Amino acid sequence: MTPILEAVGLSRRFGEVHAAEDVSLKVHAGEVVGLLGPNGAGKTTILRMIAGVLEPDAGDVLLSGIHVHERPIEAKPRIGFHSGDTQLYQRLTAREALEYFGRLYGMEEARLRRRIDQLIEELEMASFATRPCSTYSAGQKQRANIARAFLHEPELLILDEPTAALDVVSGQFIVEAIRKQKAKGVAVLFSTHIMGEAEYLCDRIALFHQGRLVDEGTLAELVERSGCDNLTDAFLKRIGVARVEAA
Amino acid sequence: MRPGVLLIIARKELREALRDRRTLFMMIALPILLYPLLILGMSRLQEGQQAAQTARNSRVALWGGLTLEVEAAFKRNGRVELLPWRSAPDAVRAGLEMGQLQPPPTPPLELSANDAERKPPKLPDTVWARAAQQALLKRDIDAVLILWPGFEEKIRRGEAGVASILYDSVRPESGKARDRMTDVLRQYRVDLIRQREKNRGLIEGFATGVELQSQNVATEQRRSGMLIGMLLPYMLILFSAMSGFYAAIDMTAGEKERGTMQTLLCAPLLPLEIISGKFLAVWVISLIATLVNIVSLALTFARVKLIPGLTVSVPPEAYLIAFCLVLPVSILVNSVFLAVGAFARDFKDGQNFLTPILMGLLAPLMVTTMPGIELNGYLAFAPIVNIALAMKSVFLSEWKADLIFLALVSSLAYAMLALALAARVFEQNNLLLGGKQSVASIFDFSRRPGAKPTEGISVLAFSLALVLAFYASLALEGKPLPVMLLVTEIGFFLLPGLALAWSKGFDWRSTFSLRPLGVAGLAGCILIGVSAWTVGGGLLIRVLPPPESLVKALEKLLLLGEREAPLWQLWIFIALLPAVCEEMLFRGLILSGFRSMGKWPAIIAAGLLFGLAHASIYRLLPTLFLGIVFGWVVWRTGSVLAGMVCHMLNNGLMATLAHSREVIREWGLLGSPYLPWSYIAAGSLLLAAGLWLVSRQRHQSSGVTA
Repeated sequence: MTPILEAVGLSRRFGEVHAAEDVSLKVHAGEVVGLLGPNGAGKTTILRMIAGVLEPDAGDVLLSGIHVHERPIEAKPRIGFHSGDTQLYQRLTAREALEYFGRLYGMEEARLRRRIDQLIEELEMASFATRPCSTYSAGQKQRANIARAFLHEPELLILDEPTAALDVVSGQFIVEAIRKQKAKGVAVLFSTHIMGEAEYLCDRIALFHQGRLVDEGTLAELVERSGCDNLTDAFLKRIGVARVEAA
Repeated sequence: MRPGVLLIIARKELREALRDRRTLFMMIALPILLYPLLILGMSRLQEGQQAAQTARNSRVALWGGLTLEVEAAFKRNGRVELLPWRSAPDAVRAGLEMGQLQPPPTPPLELSANDAERKPPKLPDTVWARAAQQALLKRDIDAVLILWPGFEEKIRRGEAGVASILYDSVRPESGKARDRMTDVLRQYRVDLIRQREKNRGLIEGFATGVELQSQNVATEQRRSGMLIGMLLPYMLILFSAMSGFYAAIDMTAGEKERGTMQTLLCAPLLPLEIISGKFLAVWVISLIATLVNIVSLALTFARVKLIPGLTVSVPPEAYLIAFCLVLPVSILVNSVFLAVGAFARDFKDGQNFLTPILMGLLAPLMVTTMPGIELNGYLAFAPIVNIALAMKSVFLSEWKADLIFLALVSSLAYAMLALALAARVFEQNNLLLGGKQSVASIFDFSRRPGAKPTEGISVLAFSLALVLAFYASLALEGKPLPVMLLVTEIGFFLLPGLALAWSKGFDWRSTFSLRPLGVAGLAGCILIGVSAWTVGGGLLIRVLPPPESLVKALEKLLLLGEREAPLWQLWIFIALLPAVCEEMLFRGLILSGFRSMGKWPAIIAAGLLFGLAHASIYRLLPTLFLGIVFGWVVWRTGSVLAGMVCHMLNNGLMATLAHSREVIREWGLLGSPYLPWSYIAAGSLLLAAGLWLVSRQRHQSSGVTA
């Protein structure tokens, strides 16, 4: 089966720091691939390169066969990107922000209105969608942001720690929303710190450390290869950190 | 670039900005409130102070003996209250009464013209001067009048009595007291001279000798224009910049701080679309603010007397022209704001980055407040200063179309450079995502073989050529015309284009359309070359006839100076040289850079820059027409040679006509300001035939004939 996303040999340096080194990844339709790694492992840099917002020093990103960096105008409408630390336009309402991005993605007006209504209902945003974004709680902001990423019905969703800084209830809501997208056949590339989320959501997990892809496979494969009992131990062993047990 | 996308971005940015109280305050509230409050308030305060001063009598300490005549003169005036010996120390009083104190020597005649450096007279270091200084500092009195010993006797003897007025120029009421006393004593002097002339049987005016009268011929409109011309450019440009200031920071550093920039970069948009959309929004905000400022200023000036007795009367069209003149400055300033703002990490950082630029605007703007500095050929190319001075000249009704045009063209070139810089900055995604990037990396001119010229390169090439050629022409002033032409054409039109193409690694053949020209194309170009001037110089020149001085200057240029050069030299320097150098730049590099815009937009844009490069509003239409024709010919044939043939024949024919007065006489053109319609009709037919022949040329595949 042809993958939706094929990233080959991605590398990027910032001065002397190698943020990503020869990273290759594939994501198929209806598949969730999780990027797991400590802070500074290069997850965000890799996701930005795949989303076409950051030029790699080396490597290619193909989305359904389209070169993301050479033909960005054709490739980007196929990608929905969301980062957990992204804010909203404070002086616009969620509905206005969605209308804005829908138009930028070239959505036809009638389809755009229908899609916004659908997302407001699915993501339970009706109570706040017409209020300025500056008045939103963290959970409401994240729903509005997720709605923006889902809006143009992309083939690939790139989500950079979407549940960071959210409480359990809001985080779970987002996780379920992602599962629904997977069920619709959307390919999802997802970075997280939370092992439970990765175990629950991901078909395959890619472990990153210091800009390198150190291991990749299904949860069972990673655990088996490490000889550990769970993903957390497998991850810590792979990056060479001993688990600190509570006394 | 997709205009629809640009408008979507601009509309959203405007909507957000108009919901921002800071922007609204700077854009609308401040100008509406500031001018009436500041100017009217100041004016009222000044008027109030003046009224209070006028109503109040001056309190003057009189030191010395008063004559009856002088006392009567002061009584007639009624506004000076003389206080005998008030605040006079005993030593001073005794010295004056005993005749021990003597007046200082009479200073030489004080001339008003400031031709030589003039030092203010120093207060003599004497007991009476120190005493008067002390008395005035206590503010019990407004001035001191000393009538020196022997005042009365001297007047009686027909000599000059000496009176000294001591006042404190820092205190307005002290100055008022001096003026009142001076008036009284001058009037007394006039009456005294008349009395003396009468007593001695002299005719009236014998002692006066010369009556001097000076009359200000400046109309009220001109005087108020001078005042507004000094104030308005300063305020208008500054406030226009200040309103763009917050919006630019918000749309760059603010968006980075909020993390929404990344979201925007994920959308299917070109960097040029993002920057253009944001620029358009900032520009609109800045222009709205400028408009509100102008209206508020015009209304305020109409109601206020900036100088007592002077009612401001400025024609409304002057304000309209001022608004139009702000447009390029506004593009320049806001583009720089956006480019620099993109380097800032957050809003506060943005303020720190942009405030020095805003402050930097003050220095060139101060120039307008200096009397005597006017727009000239040099200053027309000085950014900001040129527009500020152009505005001043409009309010003074002294504007010259060509100088204003030069100021506009050069400002537009600077503005385009700034916009290209901003677009370049917005191509650095890492910077926009909050990463650090050196300024040097923005100006990365690394060679990338196979790269193609862009719109930015076209604008850069034009702006560089225009500004460099202008300053070079100033440096070459006084040199023979062939030398000037050789250096300007090769050094500032040909070489910069070639250097730019080499440095970027552009393909020579496609960038400069270096292809042979077919027979039909060549024949067509010859017809176009010999006939295009009849439409350009014959027809279009009637729309805006050039002044006689420009016609003479062009004739001088065509003949390579006052002394007529041989015809072969004219063909080399006036025809061949510009044809090769200018065609390589305008129909080579610049047209190639615009090719992604499509055929006609590219041809018209390159033609417009060609027209603007001729730096004269009177030559704009003819050169724009020629630029479009030459552009189409090159586009159609795929060969820059086509443009060169047309250009060379056009210039060569002009030079030959200027050189051969016999031919002009034989053709019946001598003494006629315009080309007869019969020539225009015949030329148009030839031109049409030439265009038809070129259109028959087999379409060549090239970089520009896409």
